[in-house]
Amino acid sequence: MKQVVVRCQGLCRTYQQGSVPVHALQSVDLEIAEGEFTSLSGPSGSGKSTLLNIIGGLDKFDQGRVSVGGVELGGLRESQLSALRLAKIGFVFQAYNLIPVLSALENVAFILQLQGVGKREQRVRAEQMLADLGLADMLHRRPGELSGGQQQRVAIARAMVTNPVLLLADEPTANLDSQTTAELLSLMRDLNESKGMTIVTATHDPLVIAYTSRQVGLIDGRISSDD
Amino acid sequence: MALAMLLKLSLRNVVLYRRRNAFLLIAISFAVGGVTVSNALIRGWQNDMLEMAVANLTGHIKVQAPGFVDDPSLANSLTLALPPILPGDARLYQGWAARIRLPAVVMSERATRGAQLVGIDPQQEAISFYRDLSIQGRGLAGVEDRSLLIGAALADALETKVDRRVVIMVQGADGRTREMGYRVAGIYDAPGELVEKMFIFTGLEALQQRAAGQRPLISELSIVLHEESNRLSVLQAVQEAYPDTDVRDWQALEPQFAELYNIVDSVMLIWFLLTMTALAFGLVNTLIAAVMERVRELGMLRALGMGRGFVVLQVVIESVCIMSIGVALGLLLGVFGVWLLADGIDLTAFSDGLEGWGIRARLVPLLAVEDLVGYGLMSVLIGFIASFFPARRAVKISPLMAMNR
Repeated sequence: MKQVVVRCQGLCRTYQQGSVPVHALQSVDLEIAEGEFTSLSGPSGSGKSTLLNIIGGLDKFDQGRVSVGGVELGGLRESQLSALRLAKIGFVFQAYNLIPVLSALENVAFILQLQGVGKREQRVRAEQMLADLGLADMLHRRPGELSGGQQQRVAIARAMVTNPVLLLADEPTANLDSQTTAELLSLMRDLNESKGMTIVTATHDPLVIAYTSRQVGLIDGRISSDD
Repeated sequence: MALAMLLKLSLRNVVLYRRRNAFLLIAISFAVGGVTVSNALIRGWQNDMLEMAVANLTGHIKVQAPGFVDDPSLANSLTLALPPILPGDARLYQGWAARIRLPAVVMSERATRGAQLVGIDPQQEAISFYRDLSIQGRGLAGVEDRSLLIGAALADALETKVDRRVVIMVQGADGRTREMGYRVAGIYDAPGELVEKMFIFTGLEALQQRAAGQRPLISELSIVLHEESNRLSVLQAVQEAYPDTDVRDWQALEPQFAELYNIVDSVMLIWFLLTMTALAFGLVNTLIAAVMERVRELGMLRALGMGRGFVVLQVVIESVCIMSIGVALGLLLGVFGVWLLADGIDLTAFSDGLEGWGIRARLVPLLAVEDLVGYGLMSVLIGFIASFFPARRAVKISPLMAMNR
């Protein structure tokens, strides 16, 4: 039986928009098992990004429980959440969010450095990860010298290099053309299948949804479908 | 190790945002450079004060008879073995001079003035302003020279000239007033009128013969050191070596100069802090703008798991890098400015008024290495403190809010 990596129980999140409360999430129950490639989809305002951010420890929740890799997020301090993100969660963002002044290799190694990994090991692991993602010839290029698809692959390498228990991707293909999107999705599926990486992505792109093994639909902050 | 990466990141960010940082660097360099030049001028003034006070027949340390300061007459004079045996390492001393100093009234055919008659050994006076005098006529030939050297301002007041005769009245060792006729051998030009009006020179032994009944009396032994910094230790040693005398340093003998001299360090520090505080406000403002410009990047780093401490450290390192580069450029600019002013600023037009403040007719800036190091370190420290405000702003914003900007 596969381990549960993400468990959400009765999760609620309400924002105040002026004096009007907006219920972004309403009693969401969700379990994601190890090795699943899950998409959270739905129209704008459905709560998919809010759910992803809460799972990633980037947003707070008002009610319910969330655990990632067996760690309960409720009640953790900011510094503990940072440590959790660093140790257990990899992030891929829509806008790549690479550090512009660092090369591809340095961007990937940077996260290992924050983890306190030795210099030689940092280099070996970062080079290997970039090579696995087809970027062996671009180690020393800075983000500005890479295409959008290449930048997003560097971002995935950065997210994967720490061997996280969970990879969260928020609209990872939103800024890419269809061919690059297909290449990137193939890569993510390969990572999922070959390394057993648990991936959760928030998206409204049908192409992305088609690549995932499990599709969770959200509408008005509630789970509307789970296939 | 992470520190090395943060340093690399900071230096590269300085280059990446070079246009904004260039303006910041220009502001820092001009502030530091300006303070360096202005404080070098103030330090030059301070040095002038010291040199004028010491060279003005005072010396760093003076040995006098007890009571001479209150009653400067031959009744309060000394008999010392000369040359004196000065305590400690001989390399501390630049030189010494034994003198008689007497309050005198000098009369020409046309006018009468008060002055100080000083009996000197011209060779020993290499330690005083006497050495640099420009003399019309001739200087004193030696200790037995019975002629006079008077200042140009006093000569004007007395309406006398070289080779004319004047009469000087002093109180002798026996307490009686003596009238002595002298021929004016030379008229000297000194940097200021006060000195020219105050001092009249004649040979030491000649004056001892005429006013002290041939006894080897002296009013003072003036000692000049190579370094002002040794003054207090040598003062103590000389006080112990001459226990029955009154030994004082120039700060006690010239209290008004001493007050000014001592206040200069505070003036420099206040001036530096005022300038750097104004700069710090600009720095904080610009750094906040710079941090806000990169808030998304910093938010992303926190989302990836970088702790608040690392984010603060990164902003602080970056600010300190900018400040350090700016300070280095500013110090270079300041040294260049001082080099341009190396010949000094001509203040001849104001020299009479400035003399009382210890400022010479040509104000030459003085650059002290310890000042440069001090400005450098204090500026970087100010940058370090100033950088905490933008760093605090950076970590106050949640990673999510930062990335959604």
